[in-house]
Amino acid sequence: MEMLSLVTGYVICGLTGILGLLVLWKIANGSIDLSRLISEPNGDASISRFQFLVFTFVIALSLFLVIVYTRGFPPIPGTVLSLLGISGSSYLISKGIQFSDPAGIADRATDIVISPATAIVRYGQTQQFKADVPRKPGSTVTWQVIAGSGTISGTGLYTAPAAAPPGPAQTQHATIQVTSDQIPDASDLAVVTLA
Amino acid sequence: MHLLAEVIEWEIQLFILALAGLIATKLLAGDINTSGLLYGRISGRKRGQDQYFSPERVQLLLFTIGAGFYYLTLVLDNPDPGTLPPVPQSWAAAVAGSNAIYLGGKAFARWMVQRPQ
Repeated sequence: MEMLSLVTGYVICGLTGILGLLVLWKIANGSIDLSRLISEPNGDASISRFQFLVFTFVIALSLFLVIVYTRGFPPIPGTVLSLLGISGSSYLISKGIQFSDPAGIADRATDIVISPATAIVRYGQTQQFKADVPRKPGSTVTWQVIAGSGTISGTGLYTAPAAAPPGPAQTQHATIQVTSDQIPDASDLAVVTLA
Repeated sequence: MHLLAEVIEWEIQLFILALAGLIATKLLAGDINTSGLLYGRISGRKRGQDQYFSPERVQLLLFTIGAGFYYLTLVLDNPDPGTLPPVPQSWAAAVAGSNAIYLGGKAFARWMVQRPQ
């Protein structure tokens, strides 16, 4: 019986370890997105959330060190609880002040903006597109023509096809997509009308 | 059984430290958004013209980091390692004061700053 509980203990310990490693690995490679860990809905980073983050890690690590030593749950001193209470109350009041202003609950700025959003390009001509990534200026982006004809370079230079396709005259369009390499799911579109 | 307990201890300790290290690295590398962390917003002004550098946030940041490190040193130097050491009243008061200054600055920017007509 003791052998069985020992083996079960090692199996649970191993599985928990694998789960922990998986979580850390996914955070490291960006699959678990922590980019807005201390951000507000409007996109600004919050000093109150940062304070919560620091205090949480400090108390968690301290508590763990004490639990390892005593093999039991220690009493939490009143002043430690006061500190957490101060931090929590400050956060609540701060959000109350922020959300009393309609601008405080406005959505965050768009992650990536393509310009121009629409363009008329003659056959055989080119059009330069630009992408603005407000949260990560200077970060790299990927360009693609996702519908219609034409090609686009890695720098956003769109080249229209040399001539209109044979057949009855019809307005042709191309859709260009730009995606951020650093911000997952951030993308924007532009529509080209070929003339 | 004793070995298993030690393995679990190391596992949890490494996980917490690795998680803290990862978050700290991502904060410093800019992978976690910190834009506007030290800037406040003044109500009623146009977007783009409403931000100001906020000393009250800077002092709160310093007090927060200071208090965090100070408490960790208290835990590591604790003469009775089986207990969580209490935070000195003076430190709790300092953190409370720091938060009060931050909230005062935020309230001032929200309600007291003269808005453009």
